[in-house]
Amino acid sequence: MSVVDARKTHELVDTTEPNLLEDVFDYGLPPKIRFDGPLIEYIDGQPVEFDPNSAKKRDIFITDTTFRDGQQARPPYTIDQMVHLYDLLAQLGGPQGVIRQTEFFLYTKNDRETLDRCRELGHEFPECTGWIRAVKGDFRLVKEAGLKETGMLTSSSDYHIFNKLKFKSRKECMDSYCEVVDAAFEAGVRPRCHLEDVTRADWDGFVMPFVDRLMRMSEQVPEDMGVKIRICDTMGFGLHYPGAELPRSVPKMIYKLNQECGVPSDRLEWHGHNDFHRTHANGATAWLYGCDALNGTLFGFGERCGNPPVEGALIEYISLKEDLCGIRTELITEIANYMRSIDFPIADNYPLVGKHFNTTRAGIHAGGLRQDERIYNIFDTTTLLNRPPRVALTDKSGADGVAHWVNEFFGLKDADRISKIKCHKVARWVMDQYEVEGRMTAISDEELEAKVQELMPEYWETHKGKLAGV
Amino acid sequence: MATVQDRVIEVTARVLQLDAADITPDNNFTSDLGAESVQSIELVAMFEEEFGIEMDEDGALAVTTVGSAAEFIAGVCKEQGVEV
Repeated sequence: MSVVDARKTHELVDTTEPNLLEDVFDYGLPPKIRFDGPLIEYIDGQPVEFDPNSAKKRDIFITDTTFRDGQQARPPYTIDQMVHLYDLLAQLGGPQGVIRQTEFFLYTKNDRETLDRCRELGHEFPECTGWIRAVKGDFRLVKEAGLKETGMLTSSSDYHIFNKLKFKSRKECMDSYCEVVDAAFEAGVRPRCHLEDVTRADWDGFVMPFVDRLMRMSEQVPEDMGVKIRICDTMGFGLHYPGAELPRSVPKMIYKLNQECGVPSDRLEWHGHNDFHRTHANGATAWLYGCDALNGTLFGFGERCGNPPVEGALIEYISLKEDLCGIRTELITEIANYMRSIDFPIADNYPLVGKHFNTTRAGIHAGGLRQDERIYNIFDTTTLLNRPPRVALTDKSGADGVAHWVNEFFGLKDADRISKIKCHKVARWVMDQYEVEGRMTAISDEELEAKVQELMPEYWETHKGKLAGV
Repeated sequence: MATVQDRVIEVTARVLQLDAADITPDNNFTSDLGAESVQSIELVAMFEEEFGIEMDEDGALAVTTVGSAAEFIAGVCKEQGVEV
């Protein structure tokens, strides 16, 4: 902290009306992200201002790698599964193409059939792109598939250059990569260079000289063929904190590529990994500092600890843009349900889609939900995600929790809601499970349903036709 | 004939499993008689059943002592035309 005395006196602003800050927390949308000043990063010792509001105006977007990085971490999807997921991704991202591209392997017959069937669906977005090694022969696959763009591995750290790929020198490595880029240009395919392991690379000694050369090569081809740069935080080492040093600083990486190497924002893409729980924050930070594309996978599933979650990026996008922008958020739930149906594990407490992401257990919280669901629900999850807030019952749930569960179960709203007094027999049964029976687990929905039928038969008769699909 | 207060004490003793003779009008349901959260709900439900009335949930749960419960219930009975 500076030595300036910043202490001030703060007077209570008394009121009898609550100030719910609804301009930001309007409940009908995820909470809006607002900035009240520039971001300042010291670059080479000099303060540089970034306007975070530029991300609200720029055409930022999401790219998907569910079928590439996501699939590397699991047994292969079937062709039908991938085609269905692609169709859902297209609907989720909406007509403005917020989910702009998705990439496919091209190596097997199944890879190519999948690609063909996805394109036959006729969606404008996400555009299908390829993913190949940095090997000239692989462009035959890209060309045969009729793709306009492909990602290619251009690993950038000495761990990869020397220890994995066994190049004798950085120059030999760079020349080899550039030969493949030339081959892409010759094939009429736009190359997207994936700077693998860039958060552990020598920026001054390799990354920036390589990107400088790529930009010079791009000047020789039409603008829509110019090389794109994917910034690959392969091991999740990236840091979004201001003041962090290269090669781990997300702000500095974006600045160096965007401003010093001259890679336009729309040709920069962030690809992260979640080994240190930073993947979403790092991706969103890349947006703020001038990188337009955020690459992710559905539910963050990818190598090791995974990638930026596409659904999290969509919510971040809406929060930044303060508008749904055509995104069909309810599809997030549909896709999660589909993934579960094909044995894709999703943790119960996983944000936005976990079984219990908006479930409260404490009775005092359930009491809050009963009075005003905004108190303990992040936004209108009923409308945006087709997921009403829920209460899971334990010994901490109390009569408030029981009443909330019963009302949600019957789908009762406002004046139709049943008071907790009328739920007292179920509440007693719940308490006895713990106090008398010594139970140590939460009570399942199925058990509660049976108890409501047994102990509240008059309500069961009246409302069982209105069951709310719990 | 038992008074409203007598009947309130009798229900309280039954729900909280206490001896009615030990309960006085100035007893606080929570601090003196040990009523826990769910038992408070059960007391209100049992008072409704005993007197054949419907009570406002928030109003009923705001009552703290046996004597004030008897007064509250007597008022509700009068409003709802229930003879006590």
